[in-house]
Amino acid sequence: MNFGLVARVLGNILLIEGGALTIPLGISLYFRERGAVIGILLSMGILGLTGLFLSNVPVRSPRLKAREAVAIVTLGWVIVSFFAALPLVLSGAVPSFVDALFEAVSGLTTTGATVITQVEMLPKGILLWRSLLHWLGGMGILVLTLAILPTLGVVGFQVFKAESPGPTPDKFTPRLAATSKILYTIYTALTALMVIAVRAAGVSWLDSFILAFGAVGTGGFAPFSDSLMGLSPNRVLMVVLAASMFLSGVNFALYYDLLKGRWKQVWSNSELRLYLGITAAAVLALSLNLYGRVYGTLGETLRQAWFQVSSIMTTTGYTSADFDLWPSFSKAVLFALMFVGGSAGSTSGSVKVVRLLVTAKVVKREINRVLHPQAARPVIINGRVMSSDVVQGVVSFLLLYVAVFALGSLVISLEGVDLLSAMSAVAATLGNVGVGFGAVGPTAGFVGLSSASKLFLSFLMLLGRLELFPLLAVLSPNFWRE
Amino acid sequence: MDILIVGMGKLGYKLAETLAGPEHDVTVVDLDEQALARAVNRLDVLPVKGNGAQLQLLEDLGVRKKDLVVAVTSSDETNVLICLTAKKLGCPRVAARVRNPEYAGQIDFYKEQLQLDFITNPELDTANEVARYLLRGYSAHLESFAGGRVGLFEVPASAVPGVVGRTLAAVDAFQDMLVGAIYRSGEVIIPSGATVVESEDVLHLIGRREAVTALIREHSSLGQRHVAKRVMILGGGKAAFYLASRLLTSGLSVKIIEQDEERCNYLAAQLPGALVICGDGTDLDLLQDENLSEMDALVSFTGHDEENLMLALLGKQHGVGKVVAKVSRSNFVPIIEELGIDRAVNPVLISAGELVRFIQGGQIASLSLIFGGQAEVMEFVVPPDAPIIGVKLAEARIPPGVILGSIVRRGQVFIPKGDFVVQAQDRVIAFCLHRQLPELNKLFYPKRRGLGHELWFGRKGSGKHSAD
Repeated sequence: MNFGLVARVLGNILLIEGGALTIPLGISLYFRERGAVIGILLSMGILGLTGLFLSNVPVRSPRLKAREAVAIVTLGWVIVSFFAALPLVLSGAVPSFVDALFEAVSGLTTTGATVITQVEMLPKGILLWRSLLHWLGGMGILVLTLAILPTLGVVGFQVFKAESPGPTPDKFTPRLAATSKILYTIYTALTALMVIAVRAAGVSWLDSFILAFGAVGTGGFAPFSDSLMGLSPNRVLMVVLAASMFLSGVNFALYYDLLKGRWKQVWSNSELRLYLGITAAAVLALSLNLYGRVYGTLGETLRQAWFQVSSIMTTTGYTSADFDLWPSFSKAVLFALMFVGGSAGSTSGSVKVVRLLVTAKVVKREINRVLHPQAARPVIINGRVMSSDVVQGVVSFLLLYVAVFALGSLVISLEGVDLLSAMSAVAATLGNVGVGFGAVGPTAGFVGLSSASKLFLSFLMLLGRLELFPLLAVLSPNFWRE
Repeated sequence: MDILIVGMGKLGYKLAETLAGPEHDVTVVDLDEQALARAVNRLDVLPVKGNGAQLQLLEDLGVRKKDLVVAVTSSDETNVLICLTAKKLGCPRVAARVRNPEYAGQIDFYKEQLQLDFITNPELDTANEVARYLLRGYSAHLESFAGGRVGLFEVPASAVPGVVGRTLAAVDAFQDMLVGAIYRSGEVIIPSGATVVESEDVLHLIGRREAVTALIREHSSLGQRHVAKRVMILGGGKAAFYLASRLLTSGLSVKIIEQDEERCNYLAAQLPGALVICGDGTDLDLLQDENLSEMDALVSFTGHDEENLMLALLGKQHGVGKVVAKVSRSNFVPIIEELGIDRAVNPVLISAGELVRFIQGGQIASLSLIFGGQAEVMEFVVPPDAPIIGVKLAEARIPPGVILGSIVRRGQVFIPKGDFVVQAQDRVIAFCLHRQLPELNKLFYPKRRGLGHELWFGRKGSGKHSAD
């Protein structure tokens, strides 16, 4: 293991994180929040010192192997989460470190599950920091590092691969640093657009940023304890947010294609089509179920259905209504959507549409094999044959995902909550959704769980964000054996 | 530059490895997914799976806007087809690998009539390299620069008295020359004045040719004058064919040992001056019957690295003056030369060097990849707007891993010291570790675009990313 290089990269990431803290610092200074300013300054000091120390560890060799890349990504996420919790604790906003860690992990992994009861009581700086974590974690903090520090570019593809969501990460320029920069530019532009749109819908500037970070990063931290239920009469805002969540669930590489004028390629993208199809079908199903029963007008029904489908499917987790009170069918649809997620290469979590697409094609192939045992049927996505390695990876990911979900549900059921609550708690954290049903439903949050469960769910959030394998690889004893 | 490389074999990979960096955008195309995976996992390149000769693929990749297409697939015909297609689609420069000896005569036709800008033939290049070595007087001479005024020589440190154990600054044996690189147990060191010479080191001296020659004459152990007269070539492949015909025209006696009878007949017919023996080159009795120990040089050009290595060692044991072995894996070259084989040649490395020389064309007049590509020696003319002009070298912040070995100004060779000031139009011969190449470029080539552009792309000329 090339510890020197791993340490240097981790140091750089921490310096970037420390730099990001200047934004909440500015907010806290503006609102004269004494405790928050002290907490943030202390955290910045600790981050800066640790970062400087690590980034000056001598590097013996610039070679980065798969092992180091995985170590950088997983350790990076763990360490960044740890340090992200510091401002919460040091400012006194969240006294318990376990709670702060849960909140930080939930922020970075864009889960949006919260253990804070009175969100409105948080200092503004800390409130923004939580949401800024969404934004940083959404596109990936290592991808950001790659964009800012192109020297990593030569060796960074392994890192990029381990952090980017989806089975076959897209590198669409020869230079990885350029790809990372393009991704971040699109991401920033989309965020800026959404901030302005949200602001135009009549929300304060600070809340606009918080809502946009939550929506574009598909995180789900809201500036209010009841998520967005209080804002749901604001129709324009609901539509803007639903649209921004939906857009953030699209593969960002497709936006690049659009900018390049490759309309046809984008339109014929099979993952995008399936993503659109699932969204439309789910909205239709919810609307049929809700219309007349919960909501009187068609407009209200469609708006609530679209908002909630976008929110859950892209794994954002904003709630515009207490869907725990909706009919069972609607709840079942939402629960199922927790296992879909957005597109690969987007900021969303969970399984991702393309993996479902590949799995569906594999299943179809097996059915056909009964009829034509000798037929050659490669799995074709977007006109390209998926190599059997990729297909195998997708299928085993899905199996592992279900296994982790089942085992996790067992663990959480020890809390004594009902089965749906336990299952949805795991689905909501593993899939980075952030909201479940019952005890972890829209009005409850994750406050009532024990510390052990909070730590376990934090682990699940990281596991889900890094798409299972990297974290499990680091945990396997073989990893540390030379 | 925006470069497309088709074919990710050994040569394609080496080329991508050499070029990918802040100066160039490299896209690589191959049909084999594993070859692409290997490239993308280790190099900063864009992999594209597909047949590079397909019009649609080339169009999709935006060949029109590429600066260069290099076709190095395993098939000559495909390479030419790729280049023709790319050229017709509007790519300004194309290069192909063509290695079939039957096409060797039509290279000029390709260049002039088909407008292929550059053709590389690894076997021919290898043969030329070996021929140059065999026909050369001193075994230590590696390369000439600036029209022969400056020479690059390699010298074992132990052969020159008063060098080992001292720092380079304290060594006064080298007048009018400079130690540009030290080769120490498989690693290349670009030395500074404080570097201490060790007994096992091999020094690479650069300087005025006469000065180096005089030094070697002074210490006779450095290299006897030794031109090969009788050469035995083991293996009768393409490289052997080229080498034999080259040596024959220089009046040497050539013996080729080849196993395949049909190939023997072909060689005998094509090379009337050579003695072609049909037999197993690994058979010691046969080699002795053919007077192995009487030979001045043994070149082992069979298809197996291991055989080449063993046979060359065998030749050395039997007192052959110069032994040369072909190795197909470039990273083995340094190890093999350490074993006492005079020269290990690697067609991929030689070809990659030729191609890089062509690609850097405008900027770099001459370039050799030494030590298996770890470092480069390059010759170039200082452009009029180079940032280094007018600054004393001691103050020019020359990065570690870079040495300006010699500077030729109006026909006069200078060995630059700290107070030397570079002028425009100077001809510079520099040693540079491969990874320091961008740093070297910063000294001599001004940034062409605004700072914002530079920050964004980290290099110039990259507004176009049209690859998928």
